[in-house]
Amino acid sequence: MSHENTIETFADQVKAIPGGEHLEMCYSCGTCVSKCMIQQKLEPEYNPRRLLRMVMMDMRKEAFESPTTWYCSQCDLCYPACPQEIHISAVIAAVKQLAVEAGYSTPLSTVSVDESLCAGCGICVMACPYEAPHLIQKEVDGVMDLFSEVDENRCMSCGICVAACPLGAISRKGVSNKEIIKQIKVKKQKSIPSLVIFICDWCLREDDDLSILESYPANVRVIHIPCSGRIDPQMALLALRAGIDGVLVCGCRPGECHYQHGTDITTCKMSLLDTMIDQIKLRDHRVKFVQIGTQERGRIRQEIDSMLETLNARKEPH
Amino acid sequence: MHAKPKLAFYWAASCGGCEITITELGMRLVDVSEIADIVFWPAAMDYKYDDVRSMKDNEIDFTFFNGAIRNSENEEMAHLLRKKSKILIAFGSCSHMGGIPGLANMFDIESICERVFDTMPSLDESKGTRPVIKSKMPEGEICLPELYNQVKTLAQVTEVDYFMPGCPPVVDQVWKVFNAALEGKLPPKGSVIGADIKTVCDVCTRKKVELGFKVKEFHRPHEIELDPNLCFLAQGVICCGPVTRAGCGLPCLNGNMPCRGCYGPAEGIEDQGAKLASAIAAIIDTDDVEALQKTLASIVDPAGTFYRFSLADSIISQMKYK
Repeated sequence: MSHENTIETFADQVKAIPGGEHLEMCYSCGTCVSKCMIQQKLEPEYNPRRLLRMVMMDMRKEAFESPTTWYCSQCDLCYPACPQEIHISAVIAAVKQLAVEAGYSTPLSTVSVDESLCAGCGICVMACPYEAPHLIQKEVDGVMDLFSEVDENRCMSCGICVAACPLGAISRKGVSNKEIIKQIKVKKQKSIPSLVIFICDWCLREDDDLSILESYPANVRVIHIPCSGRIDPQMALLALRAGIDGVLVCGCRPGECHYQHGTDITTCKMSLLDTMIDQIKLRDHRVKFVQIGTQERGRIRQEIDSMLETLNARKEPH
Repeated sequence: MHAKPKLAFYWAASCGGCEITITELGMRLVDVSEIADIVFWPAAMDYKYDDVRSMKDNEIDFTFFNGAIRNSENEEMAHLLRKKSKILIAFGSCSHMGGIPGLANMFDIESICERVFDTMPSLDESKGTRPVIKSKMPEGEICLPELYNQVKTLAQVTEVDYFMPGCPPVVDQVWKVFNAALEGKLPPKGSVIGADIKTVCDVCTRKKVELGFKVKEFHRPHEIELDPNLCFLAQGVICCGPVTRAGCGLPCLNGNMPCRGCYGPAEGIEDQGAKLASAIAAIIDTDDVEALQKTLASIVDPAGTFYRFSLADSIISQMKYK
């Protein structure tokens, strides 16, 4: 008996963290798994139901090493589906907190800050949905200065801060400014318009959207990004300046963003750009942002075709 | 004995503030005249364009050219001074990026004339007047420069050696640049001079935002009482500090006004307004998607705010006139 009183179980520890208290309401129906985009697209081993079981069965090591602990981006698509109304992402966050305390760290390829470029403006701190970056004071050449520092265990690798950083001080492997600009180059043909598509990988339907994207010829360049929030108006304008005829940015429908608010931030950016283009009376909307819902099969083809049609009409002599 | 270096100052489409910043040098101007000859300065001394035309090519050592290119006279002088100068410096925001006159690129020339000559509230009645390039008078034909449809930066009409930002450039930086120029210590051609590498945010000492802060509504500076010690963005006031080069000595911030962006984009930024728009968008509260449009609408005049001094130099402006 005394043994039970002194040693806290794994489940007790999780329940003691705010958000973790609903753990034991789970009866393992697996509805959460059926809703989860990570399980469908990224990691077949990803399974919230199983993680919650592991906690209840005191499988600490297995839980801390499970991708489920680390990959959950708190999109909360599972939350309204759960018949027991368990805020599953909050339980997973509690497990992650214990994992970090136990010395485990994220397997994700997270963002990094180049301190020689960082001005400590704090834009990234406000932009991040996960409060991963924060400002720290540091002495450089005898002067105290502010820099951004990223808590890698909070970072979900969405790239929203990379787009928000005014000075390009933050980068993420694979989608740094340089790497994206390099991909923008399109083989130009005089007669047909060129189009660059920045597409959020989460708004794609694995089964047929990929083959739709691959069906277009070389004048349509598809650049995969972790979230539409990774793209900023300057990137879109740089593509146009490089001679590309049009830029299509595809993100998720509001409420379905894998990174909570990435798609809404893109809405803000793109509406500001649209307003400025209107203000200067350019009347030539060659940058378009579309939000594609998980159920909208084939929408991507419609959007690309309609964009190409607009660009074609523009190219034809009047 | 070596001949004294020759300096020239010229104003194109500008307000005159850049001229005032030079006179602000005060008695130091006398020191300048000891070691250099000022050979052309329409704002302060009586020289004619013909005096410049009669000079040999590359005769002027340094020309400080302020103002945007708004009309045919501005452009003609830009080409003339380029030809006569060893080093041509775009001096001040207008020459560097189009400045405030560059905001006219949001309109066409006819709608501007309509406003000025027909609908301005200060007019008693419209007489339908329009500027005419050539008109016959009893004394003979008189000419006016042609007003262009597009405001251009100096570098959009001729080759520029250095860019010196500021509206106007602050006097301490002017003095530093004069000294560097006369001592032959200017950096490689094409550089921005008389400014810092850092951004305004980097040198601003106001308290930065707290974790978790988001903006629900933006305010213009006159609409709220501004905390002099807190970051403007944390007060919902748009500040160009995150994207703007420092070196101005922060007179606006010290006067409790947000940075307006006159020192131009910081190193590594290609388009000041577009980059500022992405930084500002990222700090908007997106919890309530329905309220987003209202928050966005509280940003009055995005182009005029984000590109206040750099519209003529922006990618969207260049696309418009392509």
